[in-house]
Amino acid sequence: MKCDDCQNLLAEYIDGEAIESDAEQVSAHLITCAECTHEFETLTAEQEVFARYDRELNISPAMWHAIEARTTERRPPDSTSRLSLPAWLSGLFAAPRYGLAGALAVLIVGVMIGVMYLRNQPQTKTPERIAGGKSQTPTGTPENLVAAVNPTEPPQKLKPVEPTKTVSVKESSKSNRITTGSADQSDVLFSDIAYSDIENKDTADHIAQAQNLLRSIRNIHPGDNDEEIDVTFEKAMSRRLLDENVVLRRDAETSGKFPVKSLLGDLEPFLIDIANLPDKTTPTELRAIKDRVQKTEIVAALQSY
Amino acid sequence: MKRLSHELTLEGQPGAFAASLMNSSADLVARACRGEQEAFRLIFERYSRPVISFIYDLVSDRGLAEELTQETFVRAFRNLGTLRQETKLSTWLFGIAKNVARESLRARMRASRQVDLEDKSVLDLSDHSPVPVHQLLNKELNELIQRSLALLDDDKRLVFTLKVFQQCSYEEIADITGFSISKLKSDLHRARSEMRRRISPYVRF
Repeated sequence: MKCDDCQNLLAEYIDGEAIESDAEQVSAHLITCAECTHEFETLTAEQEVFARYDRELNISPAMWHAIEARTTERRPPDSTSRLSLPAWLSGLFAAPRYGLAGALAVLIVGVMIGVMYLRNQPQTKTPERIAGGKSQTPTGTPENLVAAVNPTEPPQKLKPVEPTKTVSVKESSKSNRITTGSADQSDVLFSDIAYSDIENKDTADHIAQAQNLLRSIRNIHPGDNDEEIDVTFEKAMSRRLLDENVVLRRDAETSGKFPVKSLLGDLEPFLIDIANLPDKTTPTELRAIKDRVQKTEIVAALQSY
Repeated sequence: MKRLSHELTLEGQPGAFAASLMNSSADLVARACRGEQEAFRLIFERYSRPVISFIYDLVSDRGLAEELTQETFVRAFRNLGTLRQETKLSTWLFGIAKNVARESLRARMRASRQVDLEDKSVLDLSDHSPVPVHQLLNKELNELIQRSLALLDDDKRLVFTLKVFQQCSYEEIADITGFSISKLKSDLHRARSEMRRRISPYVRF
C-alpha cells in the first residue's frame, strides 16, 4: 500500500468504517511507515481533544416539565383514534341511539342548507368563473401534497376532511377576487397560500423537470463491466436546476410556503450530488445515487406536488 | 411473599433483567405510544444529553439549544406513531433535532440576528506559539472548539458533529442527513481538515 492510499483511508480506519481488507492493509502499512504512523497518531490525538470537549450543558428538571406540559395537552398518535371519512360516516349511521332515522335527518338538513346556500349565492359558483383561472386541476390533491412534503407533521393535520375544506375554500377565494365576497379573512389567507402553492408555475415547472432528471438517473442501467457512463447532460441539467432550486426554496421560505420549502430542501442534496458527478461517472457512483433516489422515494414526493 | 416474588420476576426472568428488557428503546416507544408518560420520560432521560449536545453544536447558543431540545422531544412525542420498527430511536431523534435546528437557524438568518461567525476574538486567545494540549485551559479549549465548529458550513458541521461527537456510523449519518455516503465522506474529510487547521496553532498534538 502506498502512503497516499493509506492516508486517504486513515480517518475511516480510525472511525472503524474501513472495509476489512482495507483495514488490514492499513494496519500492515502502519507497522512499516513512520510518516503514516505520525499521521495516525495526530488523528488519534485530535480525537482525544474532541473527546474532551465539554459544552457545559445541563438538563434541568424544568426542561422535562415543559415538555411534559406540552405533551400532555395532546396524546401521541394512535391509529385507532384517526377515523377515515367513510369510517366516520359509517359510525354515524351505525349510532345506536339515532339509527337510520338520525342519519337521514342529518342528510336532509345538509341538503336543505346546500340548496339554500346555492339559491342565495347563485353567481359565486358558476363554472365559467371557476374555469377562468390559470389552472383548475392541481397535479396532486392537497392531502397528498401535505402528506408527501411534510411527513413529520402531526397526523392530526392529515384528517381526511381537510382536503375538502381546502378545495372549497380555494374556489370561494377565487370568486371573492371577482365579486367582493364576505368570506372569513382567515380562510382567504389560507386559501391564498394554498392556491399560490399550486399556482406557482415556476415551482411546478421546476419540480416537473427535477422529476424528469431523477427518473432519467433512475432509469440508467449501468452494465456489469465497470464501463464509465456519460452523464454530461444530466450534470448540466442538475446544475441549472440546483441554481433554480436554491432561489425557489428561499422564496418558498420567505413567503411561508413551508411544505414547498421542505420538498425543495429534500430535492437539493440529489441535485448537488448529480451536479458534482464527473462527466464520465463510474457505475458505483451512479448506483449510489440511484439507490438513494429509490430509497427516499423522492420522485414520488415530487410527483405528489 | 408471593406478591414480592411476582414483582421481582417477569415471565421467569430475574427482576433486574426483566426491567432492563422492559426499558429497551423499542419497548419504551411502544409504551409511550400507548400514552405512558413515564416511558416517554425515560426516553427523554436517555437521549436528552446527546440531543442537546448535538443541537448546541449546530446552533452555538445554550439557551436556544435548550429550547430546541424541548421542541425536538415534543415533536418526537407527537410523531412516535410514525417511527418505523427498523429505525434506531437515536437516529430518528437526531433527524428531528437536525430539522428543528435548521428551521431555527433559517428563521434566525431571516431575522438578521445572526452573529458574525467570522468573529476572530477566539483566535487571540494565545500567543500563536503551539502549546501542549494539557496546558491549554479546558475552558479555552472548549471555546476554541465551539468557535471552530461555528466556522464550518452547515453540512460539514452537521456531518462532523454526528461522526466525531455522536459517534454515528456513516450509514446512520446518511439516514439522518439524507446525504449520500460519498458526500458525507467528502464533507467529513474537509471538516476534519478545517478543524485541524483552526485548532493546530493552539494545540500541539
